[in-house]
Amino acid sequence: MGRIIYTLAMCISLVCCSYLSLQAQDRRITGVVTDQQGVTLPGVSVTVKGTQTKTSTDGKGVFNISVSGEKPTLVFSYVGMQTRELEVGSKPSIQVSMQTTSKDLNEVVVVGYGTVKKGDLTGSVASIKGSELNRTPAASVDQLLQGKIAGVQVTTSGGQPGSGATIRIRGASSLNGSKDPLVVVDGYPWGDAGNLKQINPEDIESVEVLKDASSAAIYGSRGANGVIVITTRKGRVGQNRISVSTLDGVSYQSVKPDVWRDPVEEATYANEAAKTGGAIPTDIPYIGISRPVGTGYVYYPSIAELRGLDPNKPQWPTNTNWVDLVYRNPLTQSYTVTADGGNDKTKYAISGNYYNEQGMVIKNYYDKYTSRLNLDQKLSESVTVGTNAILAVTKNNGSGLGVGRSVIFPVYDENGNYFRTSSTDYGNPIALSNQLLNTTKTLDMLGNIYIGAKFTSWLSFRSNLNYKFGNSVQDQYDPIASTQRAMDNKGSYGSINNGNYNDLLSETYLTANKNFGKNHSLNAVAGFSYQATNNRFSSLTGQNFVNDVLTNENLATAGTMLIGNSLQRFDLMSYYGRVNYAYKNRYLLTLTGRADGSTKFGANNKWAYFPSGAIAWKVNEEEFMKNVSFISELKVRANYGISGNQGISPYQTLDRFGSNKYFTGAGFQTGFGPGLAGANDEQGRTIVEGLGNNSLQWETTEQFGVGLDLGLIDQRFTLTADYYNKNTSDLLRLKTISPSAGYDRQWINDGEINNKGFELGLNANIISNAKLSWNVGGIFTMNRNKVVSMGESNQVLIGTIYESVRQQISTYTVGQPMFAFYGYKSAGIIQTLEEGVAAGLTGADAQPGEIKYMDISGPDGKPDGVIDSYDRTIIGNPNPDFIYSFNTNLKFKGFDLSAQLYGVEGNDVWDFQKMTPSRQLLRWTPDNPSQEIPRANGSRGYRASDFFITDGSFLRIQNVTLGYNFKTGIIKGVKSLRLYLSGNNLYTFTKFNPGYDPELGEMGINGGAYPRPRNISIGLNLGL
Amino acid sequence: MNHKILISGTLLASILLGSCAKLEEKPYGLINTVTFYKTAQDAESAIIYAYSDLPEVGYYSRGYYIVTELPTEDLTQKGDAGVGNFELDELRTTSTNSDLDNIWTYMYRGITRANAVIVNVPQISMPEANRNQITGEGYFLRALHYFNLVRMFGEVPIRQDVIADATQIPVAKSSIKDVYDLIISDLKNAENLITVPRISEGRANKVAAQALLAKVYLHLASSKVSGSPGYEFVSNADEMYAQAKAYASKVIDGQSTFTFTQSLPDIWNTEIYKKAATSEHIFDAAVDRNGDREGSFSKLPNMFLPADRPMTILYDQANPGSNKIDIGQGWAHFRTESAIYNAYASTDKRKTQLIVSEYTNGTSKYVLDITSSARPFTRKFIDPLRIGDASSCNSPILRYSDILLVFAEAEGPTPAGYAAIQKVRDRAGLGALNPSLSVQAFRDAVVEERSFELAFEGNRLFDLRRTKTMEKVLHDKYGKTITSGAYFFPIPQREIDTNPLMKP
Repeated sequence: MGRIIYTLAMCISLVCCSYLSLQAQDRRITGVVTDQQGVTLPGVSVTVKGTQTKTSTDGKGVFNISVSGEKPTLVFSYVGMQTRELEVGSKPSIQVSMQTTSKDLNEVVVVGYGTVKKGDLTGSVASIKGSELNRTPAASVDQLLQGKIAGVQVTTSGGQPGSGATIRIRGASSLNGSKDPLVVVDGYPWGDAGNLKQINPEDIESVEVLKDASSAAIYGSRGANGVIVITTRKGRVGQNRISVSTLDGVSYQSVKPDVWRDPVEEATYANEAAKTGGAIPTDIPYIGISRPVGTGYVYYPSIAELRGLDPNKPQWPTNTNWVDLVYRNPLTQSYTVTADGGNDKTKYAISGNYYNEQGMVIKNYYDKYTSRLNLDQKLSESVTVGTNAILAVTKNNGSGLGVGRSVIFPVYDENGNYFRTSSTDYGNPIALSNQLLNTTKTLDMLGNIYIGAKFTSWLSFRSNLNYKFGNSVQDQYDPIASTQRAMDNKGSYGSINNGNYNDLLSETYLTANKNFGKNHSLNAVAGFSYQATNNRFSSLTGQNFVNDVLTNENLATAGTMLIGNSLQRFDLMSYYGRVNYAYKNRYLLTLTGRADGSTKFGANNKWAYFPSGAIAWKVNEEEFMKNVSFISELKVRANYGISGNQGISPYQTLDRFGSNKYFTGAGFQTGFGPGLAGANDEQGRTIVEGLGNNSLQWETTEQFGVGLDLGLIDQRFTLTADYYNKNTSDLLRLKTISPSAGYDRQWINDGEINNKGFELGLNANIISNAKLSWNVGGIFTMNRNKVVSMGESNQVLIGTIYESVRQQISTYTVGQPMFAFYGYKSAGIIQTLEEGVAAGLTGADAQPGEIKYMDISGPDGKPDGVIDSYDRTIIGNPNPDFIYSFNTNLKFKGFDLSAQLYGVEGNDVWDFQKMTPSRQLLRWTPDNPSQEIPRANGSRGYRASDFFITDGSFLRIQNVTLGYNFKTGIIKGVKSLRLYLSGNNLYTFTKFNPGYDPELGEMGINGGAYPRPRNISIGLNLGL
Repeated sequence: MNHKILISGTLLASILLGSCAKLEEKPYGLINTVTFYKTAQDAESAIIYAYSDLPEVGYYSRGYYIVTELPTEDLTQKGDAGVGNFELDELRTTSTNSDLDNIWTYMYRGITRANAVIVNVPQISMPEANRNQITGEGYFLRALHYFNLVRMFGEVPIRQDVIADATQIPVAKSSIKDVYDLIISDLKNAENLITVPRISEGRANKVAAQALLAKVYLHLASSKVSGSPGYEFVSNADEMYAQAKAYASKVIDGQSTFTFTQSLPDIWNTEIYKKAATSEHIFDAAVDRNGDREGSFSKLPNMFLPADRPMTILYDQANPGSNKIDIGQGWAHFRTESAIYNAYASTDKRKTQLIVSEYTNGTSKYVLDITSSARPFTRKFIDPLRIGDASSCNSPILRYSDILLVFAEAEGPTPAGYAAIQKVRDRAGLGALNPSLSVQAFRDAVVEERSFELAFEGNRLFDLRRTKTMEKVLHDKYGKTITSGAYFFPIPQREIDTNPLMKP
């Protein structure tokens, strides 16, 4: 195949590189091109119709062109404007006014390896402009996509500075492989979406999301999860701009943490819980005794003392407000300077950004510097070269801290040291924040050079060479007094973790654009790419240092040292092609194919082929619709295709030995043998892999979709609706294998997942005139996910084993959606012992005030009067019924007001934080026969049950922005000036646990995430 | 036009770049069957890997004690231990017990590693004596794992191959007899192939193979005599006793490397038993406090030591003039049961010297109460030189006095039998045993002696099982309930679910 392309390419390059001769010239015409408002337009392409003569307007919108014949026609075209044809008489100079295109049909949409006019799309591609993203502090664009595109679910699991987001396009379609969409930046496939920190959101021109198989198939084995195509701002001919934008904000707690406020209540609960739990009298915590800690003692006051009712003791003085000590009103800032522009030979764009985000938690912050240079140079009429360079530097410091610590104890003890309740008490957040070092610095560099050439008017060529380098260094140090990370109590702990990421991509493709006669038009792309990835990691850890002076600066002085290093390398070779064919501009056909070969896969399955096709019918172009003038667009689409997922680590097809050390008197010897120890599970057991699988192959996603695009009244009202059904088979799965085989897991392909759903996007431009405009949009996304099969087993438990319920709570269960919750059913609170015994419970579990679990099954599939593991079943679904958002935009004179609402409906959340202090106050007691909250019991072994499951639906006022655009020329030298106020995460309507934000990770588990801030920012955009 | 050259060059280069690549995976930092088992060093490394399974957390540095000691009258666990601990302690184990799943996994990992030695090392071109010894050690380890498995679970799958492909996973259970046949054959191979009495600390040797064989035969003999479930297949108990005695004799009389240590604290002094020329420790899962992770060092002491505060004790608690040693503090995970604590005679040195009932911290003295959460604890597992939680406490697998008592039990109430048990009793400061015991009464006395001598070392459960006295001792005498798993624990659910031939 390589030889064919090579031969073809050589022929093309040697034979077809002909240059165009100019035609005879008669006279010259000059003119000025403006928009509707009379503003001159530089860079407008001017062509003499029927000839190859063309020019473009200069910086003042002026052109000068030679024409011949009596009535020459000039064609004016410009991005964003309707192409205008003008018959010129004998006048030597003319004035041309261009109209903006009717909303969006002629907008160009970036798809893989090319662009398509929006009206000509056959697949399901959503597009938003960078200017439509909310202007709110965001370390990466990922979270800004939330609620912007139908079919795309974006979840952020908290408000930690610098954190990314989880993006799912049309549902999750892999069990153990990657579920993240592919991100393509300016044509370069970067990898998994989630934290695109290298790109300043302000630099983004547009974001396109390729949702269906037909459009994603051009990315073959990486397209199954959808593709997000990011296009950065480029310079425009004749538009030399300097713009400055700033965004400064302050954040607030969006939910009030639910913690103990009254020491008496806290102590009363703790004592009651200890008593109920069977503690011996001296182990009841708050009874006014001293308990030994290390070589000293800690005094635990009695409740009377806390109340101030103990005649022999003063009232207990401490009531520490940890919330106030740990949280703050953090500041955020972002400053961007951009210069872009160009002339008919050279285009440039340069930008730099500084971003700083303080965390809600003290000393936690994220700093980022990014810069970008984009340069295009025309070497000749037909040859263009260019480069794109990106530099991004980030620093992340600190981490989240808990605020649930007892209010009874102080921050410092009487000697001014951090107070500890025991020598292994590492929970004092102020101590942790001051003593721990935890900093991660990253550096990312991206270089791209390309050459593009037009061989003929219809055939062009482009070749890119891309290189991406990333480096990350994490420094950690826990001093002797605060050794929460120091395993084995070996005193202090210091570490340096290094990551080094290299990626080289060479890509070459040919594009042909040709019309045959009046009725046939063809656009074709064919290309070849080779991508080599090489990621390298090392970690250095030292424990037990002499003192804390050097922190982690000289790890060789540690008492114990641990080192680790690894390297992942994998190559991907691909051939791809696409044909877009249109008949009479009514019937559209797209055929796409890609062949991918990856080193990651087994010798038997190195190559995979991903074909797809799509058809569309522009009904409104039919003769019989010409009279229905209020319909500006009516298009029906259908697509079908196959894409793949290769999201596993390399080397999984090979057998891999493990290594371990063993002490044999004189020292340690190193052993090698079958069984490669991976990560430890929650019980401290290492999970052993390493059994090879030569037949390992790609996950295959087969997707069928239909869609409808409707536009009314010159696209003022638009509707896009899509239905899809996608089946992913040959799932990459870490199969649990028989432990007696000596291994725990092996990568295999089996099982099937189905996602089907419906997406709707609506937009109405209700009022549109020069003074006032009002736009309303809505997005609706509904996805139904189902695990169809998983090889031999019907259920696997996934995720971590939660200590509090001693089991994994999420499952993949055949016939259920992914991540379905698994556990016992409960029926309120036991009121009498008889009731508890009758329910099948025994011992402490059957006591009044405990949770009443339900006996729903037994070894024979029938209730057996015993609550045991047979009574577990599917008890919840964290996948939402639907997600939706509303956007509105109002402009009046210089003012603009926009708002976004974002909602998630019908998802269950496993709320491990359910027993908040405010609820503990409502606990069951003999006098308060609660049916919701169990009694205080310090030794209760909670079962994983629907007791923890809560409705996670919410509707959030995501963003409201009010801006004012000052009149041009109000300040000398200032072309434009906009001032705005943006509020983010303003309010959430929900029935969820009021102490927490309902938006959690995709598995829907509330373990107490980093608080999500409410942010108010003031922004300034200045154009010079 | 020179642009033409530029474009052609670019095209050419990009096509060539791709066509050179063959998409072969080049692994990094990995050893596998392709690159291993080539040299004598590889053979040595292979057996080291097999040994390194022993001191893992799930096996001899924690899991083995959880599984073998909690069900007995020796130990119970702290209040917030996992449910698996409680099930074991209360003898109501289920197939989903995570501790049983854990130890099952580690035993079979050990078998996989031993199989890799047994299958691959004989193919390596290297000095024969060395090759035999390593192969013999492989046989020893495999036998040890199967002996543990069969005593815990009864019928288990036998695996003697290294798995290369998932199709080899399904294996049915074998009978208890077949498992013992393999154990005996492996140990005899080990005894023949290993010639050196002591290779190094932590490595098995000829004596270890003999000692383990003695224990295996004794288990078969006593199980048959007592009618312990599953051992009906043993045809001749007397023959088994004779074999047990013969192999125990080889250990006692046939070598001088492993001997009786007179001082009880010295038996458990890491700096003595690891370094002295002779020692009671015939075979240990070896660790060292300078190791880089749990498994290369041991945290077993923490399981026993109370959590209240760092402790200082006398090296010899029966001698007020002896050195003070700092032994740190632990997690109080295991709690000594009053049953065993009160069963010791008050003068038994194994109580006065080897159980810590009081300690000092600074100038304060603390007395541990057997009914509280911080209870008297065994000092068999302490390391005054530990670094943080990292200790050098080996886990004893075969100890000289164990084999001495195996001999006594196998021999019966003969002068030689009496002499063997009396040697142990003398060291403990106890008087002579009734000289006219019947065979059964004598053997019962030996088993009881074992409960004091080998307490907390993971022998008691198997002694109770092979003498069919689980109910008699644990229920009738100590009032424990027994719901399930008295003689064999249930096979872990994960194995049943993933091994198609294990499905009932």
